[in-house]
Amino acid sequence: MIVFNQVNKFYGDFQVLKDINLTINQGEVVVVIGPSGSGKSTLLRCINHLETISDGTLTVNGISVGDKKTDINKLRRNIGMVFQHFYLYPHKTVLENITLAPMKVLGQSEKEAKDTARQYLEKVGILDKAESYPSQLSGGQQQRVAIARGLAMKPEIMLFDEPTSALDPEMIGEVLDVMKTLAREGMTMVVVTHEMGFAREVADRIVFMDAGRILEEAVPAEFYENPREERARLFLSRILNH
Amino acid sequence: MLDFSILTTNMDSFLEGLKITIIASLIALLGSFILGTLLAVMRISPFKPLNWLGTAYVEFIRNIPVLVIVFFAYLAGNFGGMTAGTIGLTIYTAAFIAEAIRAGIMSVPKGQMEAARSTGLTYGQAMRIVILPQAIKIVIPPLGNQFINLVKNSSLLAVVAGGDLMYQGDLISAKTYVTFDTYVFVALFYLILTIPLSLGVGYLEKRLARSN
Repeated sequence: MIVFNQVNKFYGDFQVLKDINLTINQGEVVVVIGPSGSGKSTLLRCINHLETISDGTLTVNGISVGDKKTDINKLRRNIGMVFQHFYLYPHKTVLENITLAPMKVLGQSEKEAKDTARQYLEKVGILDKAESYPSQLSGGQQQRVAIARGLAMKPEIMLFDEPTSALDPEMIGEVLDVMKTLAREGMTMVVVTHEMGFAREVADRIVFMDAGRILEEAVPAEFYENPREERARLFLSRILNH
Repeated sequence: MLDFSILTTNMDSFLEGLKITIIASLIALLGSFILGTLLAVMRISPFKPLNWLGTAYVEFIRNIPVLVIVFFAYLAGNFGGMTAGTIGLTIYTAAFIAEAIRAGIMSVPKGQMEAARSTGLTYGQAMRIVILPQAIKIVIPPLGNQFINLVKNSSLLAVVAGGDLMYQGDLISAKTYVTFDTYVFVALFYLILTIPLSLGVGYLEKRLARSN
């Protein structure tokens, strides 16, 4: 479904992604971990073309992401994204945040879009906040709205870029719970996170990155019990033993 | 002591001038706001030629005295003084409004654009629906100051016989030879316009600061 083939990316002289080969299948939950600056977020952001790859090929459902002929707006309808800092539209209500794209991009009627939005708000557990503004919500609630905003486009793929890193510890659980539900329902998910418990419980596969390379790919049990790479072992020992 | 008979006998002229100053300022405000927003969007556009065009406009216009621009507007077209003066003011003020709005757009977090684009909105839709409303809220106070400047700059209509407050003052002083007192009243009429505006901008600044 998502295929990276020999992908490299440079920022000027600095190489952020090195020889990335990665295939993510439909319904799979792939968790990308690794130290800061290892290129995890960049990898994720290439998938919906927020970043442009320098060479190699990257396809989503067989469509080349970087190709000039590709209608990127059409491709993005099918790929929801959740950001570390939520990025809800502060001048719009929760409901308007969610209905905006379905109305403007998919051409849904206001009623249809609102019905769908309410349905997803219920799913993420904050239907009562539909008429609130983002600033009136806690971080965890804002992130759940952001997830609902992504889901309202009914995408096949959801990307999560450190969705819990900006949250108070108490609010992490409520966001992870929503993500777990999605995973169970068969959503294709690519998640950049430091939440090892989540990765272990939900991921079909762990991708470990360091310095722009994918060093290891494994199922969680294997990765956590017996990481092959020394760098992965060091990383795990640092984040698990504190 | 001020000669109040200048005021009372020429009240009609003063009020006519005041009316034209207000109309010219409002039209130039609306025009320069629209033109300025367009220029600001051009200046940050990823499409290079638009970018250059916007930058060239702002750099040229900002660095020419507004008086010269008003003259050009008068000489370039077959307009009356008021129309030419208003066009000149619009062209000039748009450059400053463009810079204010551009600063506003830059201060909206980059993630807002990314979030909007990642849902499939086009660049234009994201700019119009998500970015600009946030940017304009941020720049309301600086825009208010531009409006005050605009009202004062509208006195340049006088040099192209625009019929504004300053122009009426010129006529009255030429007719009565009471120069100093006439311009004191002219200044007072400008203050009647600008002081409430200035207080209004201050009030808006405080309110917006609180709502953030």
